[in-house]
Amino acid sequence: MGEYVLEVRNLEKYYGQNKVLDKVSLSVRKGEICGLIGANGSGKSTLMNILFGNSIIAGTGGYSGDVVFEGEKVQISTTTEAIGRGIGMIYQEFMLIPEMTVAENIKLTRENTKRIFGRALGSELSYVDWKKDSEDAAAVLEQLGFQIDNSYLVKNISVNAKQFVEIAREVNKQDLKLLLLDEPTAVLNDEDAGKLMKVLKELAKKGTSIIFCSHRLHEICEVCDHVTVLRDGKAVSDYGREELDMRALARDMIGYDVTAVKKERRNQEKKAVLSFRDFSVYMPGEFLDRLNLEVYEGEILGLTSLSGHGKLAAGYGVMGQFPVMGEFLYGGASMDVKNVRKTIEHGIFLLPDDRKNMGLLLEHSVRDNIVFSGFYGRNLFQKKAGYIFSVKDKKEIERYVKEQIEKLDIKCGSPDQKVKELSGGNQQKVCIARAVLVAPKVLFVMEPTRGVDIGAKEKILDMLVQINREQGTTIVVASSELEELKRISDRIAVFCEGRLSQILPPDASDEEFAFAFTGEEGEDGQ
Amino acid sequence: MDSKIKLPQIIITAFMAGLFVLAALLGMDIPELISGSFTKFVMNGVLVLAMIPMINAGVGMNFGLPVGIVAGLLGMCMAIQLRMTGIAGFLGAVALSVVPAVILGLIYAKILNMVKGKEDIAAIFIGYSFIPIMNFVWTVAPFTNREMLYPVGAEGLRPKISLENYFGSVLNELFVLKLGKISVPLGLLLAYAAVCLLVYGFFKTKSGSVMLAVGENEKFCQLSGIRIDRVRTTAIVLSTVIGAAGICVYAQTYGFVELYNAPLSHSFPAVSAILIGGCIGRQAKISHAVLGTYLYQTIYLLSAPIANAILIPQMSEIVRMIITNGIILYAFLKQERRRRQ
Repeated sequence: MGEYVLEVRNLEKYYGQNKVLDKVSLSVRKGEICGLIGANGSGKSTLMNILFGNSIIAGTGGYSGDVVFEGEKVQISTTTEAIGRGIGMIYQEFMLIPEMTVAENIKLTRENTKRIFGRALGSELSYVDWKKDSEDAAAVLEQLGFQIDNSYLVKNISVNAKQFVEIAREVNKQDLKLLLLDEPTAVLNDEDAGKLMKVLKELAKKGTSIIFCSHRLHEICEVCDHVTVLRDGKAVSDYGREELDMRALARDMIGYDVTAVKKERRNQEKKAVLSFRDFSVYMPGEFLDRLNLEVYEGEILGLTSLSGHGKLAAGYGVMGQFPVMGEFLYGGASMDVKNVRKTIEHGIFLLPDDRKNMGLLLEHSVRDNIVFSGFYGRNLFQKKAGYIFSVKDKKEIERYVKEQIEKLDIKCGSPDQKVKELSGGNQQKVCIARAVLVAPKVLFVMEPTRGVDIGAKEKILDMLVQINREQGTTIVVASSELEELKRISDRIAVFCEGRLSQILPPDASDEEFAFAFTGEEGEDGQ
Repeated sequence: MDSKIKLPQIIITAFMAGLFVLAALLGMDIPELISGSFTKFVMNGVLVLAMIPMINAGVGMNFGLPVGIVAGLLGMCMAIQLRMTGIAGFLGAVALSVVPAVILGLIYAKILNMVKGKEDIAAIFIGYSFIPIMNFVWTVAPFTNREMLYPVGAEGLRPKISLENYFGSVLNELFVLKLGKISVPLGLLLAYAAVCLLVYGFFKTKSGSVMLAVGENEKFCQLSGIRIDRVRTTAIVLSTVIGAAGICVYAQTYGFVELYNAPLSHSFPAVSAILIGGCIGRQAKISHAVLGTYLYQTIYLLSAPIANAILIPQMSEIVRMIITNGIILYAFLKQERRRRQ
């Protein structure tokens, strides 16, 4: 094998207090395809951004560690510099100009110019040779094995085609030494993904090194010479071509150990309380694609997926936070998700994952937060004070708040303390107390244990089970912590790329879960 | 923490004190300036209070203050038409302006709810586009009191209607307290205090505290089953009604009802004043409005004669523009910086 084109040593990167890359090392030889896998948030994109000199890196305090490119230690701080060194990048989202034609997009910034004008006015002002550009573009598209008329405007072509145009743009660069691909196949169908794999292999043969990010394990296994698995910012394992094994990769990527399920299974009547019919939610970053699912009365249903694959979308869609398509039935009746108040009056409630921005009134006291939804949304704690105005029943509020603080063990100085001064776990407990007061029939809980210390975690999980058993509340928990879902759920629905991939019992094997997470089950011919 | 006076307020207060000293050195009549500062303060004070409900509901600055002002002008014109005089006339004008204020406020709210996220700029243009419509209305409105109409032709309302025979200065002359050479318009101050108290009280009620919560975290409130748009509409209507009352107070002190393009000149100073008072972002308190109005108006009052004396004539108008617009810009920068943290 050839010499190393890229070596990354002990790369560390913080976003504020968050460590997103933790001593990551990686090396790529000339003409090698290096796979990089990991769940969203594992640091893949950050690593790519560092290598490509994205300004977001310098803007958030730079990084530490070494990047060695072609034997030279470099600190790439702008994308222009990265391109100058022969690094190309293809993003998950398209970086194309919709109002330009395919050919123009491919040749942008590397246009052929008419020499006579170039001499007179300098290359920046010389006349662009459209014909030559178009020929070049056609040639490179042909090399990719993709047929499309060059003169179409990019805004009018399909998503598949856009991805190929993007790839063609990078491949057309004469001195491309390293190509970074961030989930290039996410939007492609199988056939086109296959084509792309072929192109990548050919490119590698010609000596371009490639770093290839993907969730799709079979693609990784197909093209990569070696694979690095990232999890929570750490490079957890590294496999050579011959050791590649989808199961091992999946397990490393999701990263949990198997433990026994503690909760005994219950026999339940399967009476649907919520039904989703072709329910799509257009939530940015968490698209949910035509969900068909029944939620049974009295159960705890877990929803899980890698982040960005749709586990959160169902709840937010029901609460009218994002545009939806399809139907959502509650007790057999179709619901209008836009009328949030009515949804809540019917007894559906949601605790959001983004506590600071959606789940709490940070500037208000613990007391106000606990009673807010009940008091204002459900008109609890009101008493007529002799005149027409109804007033707060302060005594009753005080009693309830005290009771909840004790029951949930919320650590706060007094009910008057501002919520923003509490720790994450205690904030989450405040949220739960708020939901308990509303006493919903169906409760959606998003990431209840994210950013919560272990002690509080147990309390919160206990509380969810308790609400379920004592109040008979049907609970839908969306969480990325599979281990916790296994402990409390009756069923677990796993999503992949916005589609429901499997509904598994909590005692299903970890292999089953791993495959459900990556959506590989269907393709293995089941 | 919020109630503490912060550095910008200290600087501006120091600047104001400096102006007083300078005025004294230039041999100006200090007691008269102080008395004037009280009148100026209340004259504009209620208009500044009109900012509070909208800011607190998270709808942004009430740049559309002209909407409320027009409602107030309509109320006063009706009062003049009905030849109402004295305190009763003033109160009648305020009462008569409530109905147009509510109607216009509802329309104003409807528009602002449609342009969520860009309320500030939309409100500015609502003000700018509404005034020409009203200019047309003023010329054809069927008022018949000759004192309101153009002297020649007797058709169309005149740009400046004198309140001398109606309710001009009624509050200013109510219970004036003489402290040496300084005269304190107690009636005026009490009226202002009463309005402040009403607004303060409102934010202690259930619908007031929901408004504060909506301003702080809209998503949270929505997920708690609160109808956001309804709360925002209430806030906007309330702001409009206060604005209408505000122009009535202003006009009775000034002595004239100013029609046509005049309403436009009130919104930026009012926004500026509450910002000077220490309001940044989403929570506005009565104290912000009170402190801000006093500082802003007094600096303006002092800078005019001083600038005219030591700089070039007409300098005061320039100074005022710099302060007014500069403070608004400063507040936007500050808000943006906070948001990024």
